[in-house]
Amino acid sequence: MGREARFYAFGSLAYFVVLEALLIGAVLFWPDFEDNLEALRDMAPLQALKGMLDQIGAGGVAAYVNGQHFFKGCNTVGTLAAVIFAMNAVAGEAHRGTLELWLSRPVSRRRLLLERWVGGALAVVVPVFASTLSIPWLLGFVEAEMQLGPLLLGAAHQSLLLLAIYAAAFLWSCLTARPILIAFGMLLFTVLQFSVYLIQVATHWSLFRLTDIDVFVRIGATHALDGRICWPLAGVSAALLATALFVFERRTP
Amino acid sequence: MPPHPSEPTIVARGLARAFGARTALHPTDLALGPGGVIGLLGPNGSGKSTLLRMLVGLVRPDAGSAVVAGVPLAGDGTAIRRRATYAPGELALYGELSGRDHLGWLLRGRERAARSRAIALAETLGLPLSARVRSYSHGMKRQLLFSAALAPAVPVRILDEPTEGLDPTKRGEVLDLVADDARAGRTILLSSHHLGEVDRACDRLVFLAAGRKIADETAASVARRARRLVRVAYATEADLLLAEREVGRLAGASPRREAGRLSVLLEDDDPRAFLAALSDLRVLPAPQSVEYGQISLQELYRELYGVEGC
Repeated sequence: MGREARFYAFGSLAYFVVLEALLIGAVLFWPDFEDNLEALRDMAPLQALKGMLDQIGAGGVAAYVNGQHFFKGCNTVGTLAAVIFAMNAVAGEAHRGTLELWLSRPVSRRRLLLERWVGGALAVVVPVFASTLSIPWLLGFVEAEMQLGPLLLGAAHQSLLLLAIYAAAFLWSCLTARPILIAFGMLLFTVLQFSVYLIQVATHWSLFRLTDIDVFVRIGATHALDGRICWPLAGVSAALLATALFVFERRTP
Repeated sequence: MPPHPSEPTIVARGLARAFGARTALHPTDLALGPGGVIGLLGPNGSGKSTLLRMLVGLVRPDAGSAVVAGVPLAGDGTAIRRRATYAPGELALYGELSGRDHLGWLLRGRERAARSRAIALAETLGLPLSARVRSYSHGMKRQLLFSAALAPAVPVRILDEPTEGLDPTKRGEVLDLVADDARAGRTILLSSHHLGEVDRACDRLVFLAAGRKIADETAASVARRARRLVRVAYATEADLLLAEREVGRLAGASPRREAGRLSVLLEDDDPRAFLAALSDLRVLPAPQSVEYGQISLQELYRELYGVEGC
């Protein structure tokens, strides 16, 4: 296995383990959560959180699992993984001083970059699907159930948002030699987005609204992806990748 | 298309590059090869690495064109790198890989036999290929890059500072391997900022200073010109002053006091007449040492090409 493949494989495995641990904890906590939903709603300090708990109350275990796994787990750990994979792709090489070495072989830059992009993208989305696959089995422990089909559609929807975040960080990686700058920049962006999510009058401006519980509940109800969200997300990722290729072709090592 | 056997294998026409306000390389023409070892010499910051990187497509030129091994420089230079190997001057490697795995990584895109040739070369140089590269010394890393650059069957090799950081014995081994490789008809362009380090392996020397090509000569011609510089050391400053005055009276000799020695630039390539005249100067004490044929890049630039500040 090549060094790049090893990095993605081990990184992806670690990311999967964290996602799965969060998921197991969340699923096993469901009976207690359900029993105490009213009390939790009364304690929730923000309207946005009360709204979320209302949705779980209405949607039951499906809304709860979607919220725990996609909205909380994948959005936090997935974003972190996307940034780590992207920031090391090119900026990491430049920072280590190995960019010239990486480019000096008789392999085109387009190919090198696409290999990295695809490797990182798979490392970001495969754990989302892999952990999602375990949900029906885990729910058996709390005597609940969900259909796999809508869950996989939810995973696809969530992956599109993570890919867009990954593509943005990847483009940034093609522009700079300082991976730490990307890490802090994306952390700041994520915190800002989550803050906006919590503000009732501004919540619709938050990127996290694209993967809110109601979106997954809708996917579950219609058994179809929401084209109004998915196509723009896919388009953004494609445009960011095209820009990254353009920038990388001209980059001086 | 491969170049005609008698055509130069490395051709540059007006190749230029600036980084922001700083001009790294002014428009430069080159016509090197076919075959032989060409030394690209110049002090740090003279534009050597920029020129080499442009020739293999790693840096895009602002102006000009290049053809290497019959392949015009275009796009990201992949087509050129298929016909030419390149060993970067930067020594950043992937420390987590073993030497053997690193050679495999470096030789991606090359023919299968290149890997076994690289391993054989590295073993010849005494590299511990099972050890991780992070345990390698500076010189060992340099030799690993060199082994990878020398292994593929390509007509051109471009090596940025291949002997930098090597001890004299290893440097000699590396230069012998380069010379052997060139005898097989390859064109090898290597850079250095030390004249005495690589010139013994070179057939031809190209000199850069402040981003400009200032000379392009055969190594024999440079060696001949280097013999025009004679250094004479005396025991005391008073002797040195006296020697400067007396030597200045000799025809065809221009003395200059420098670092406690007298540097004498001769008009003739053959120093024997001057040395005979010097020994006839009975007013002078016997010199502590007399040295000729040895010249630093800085002295060469200043004395022979009139370039200061290198």
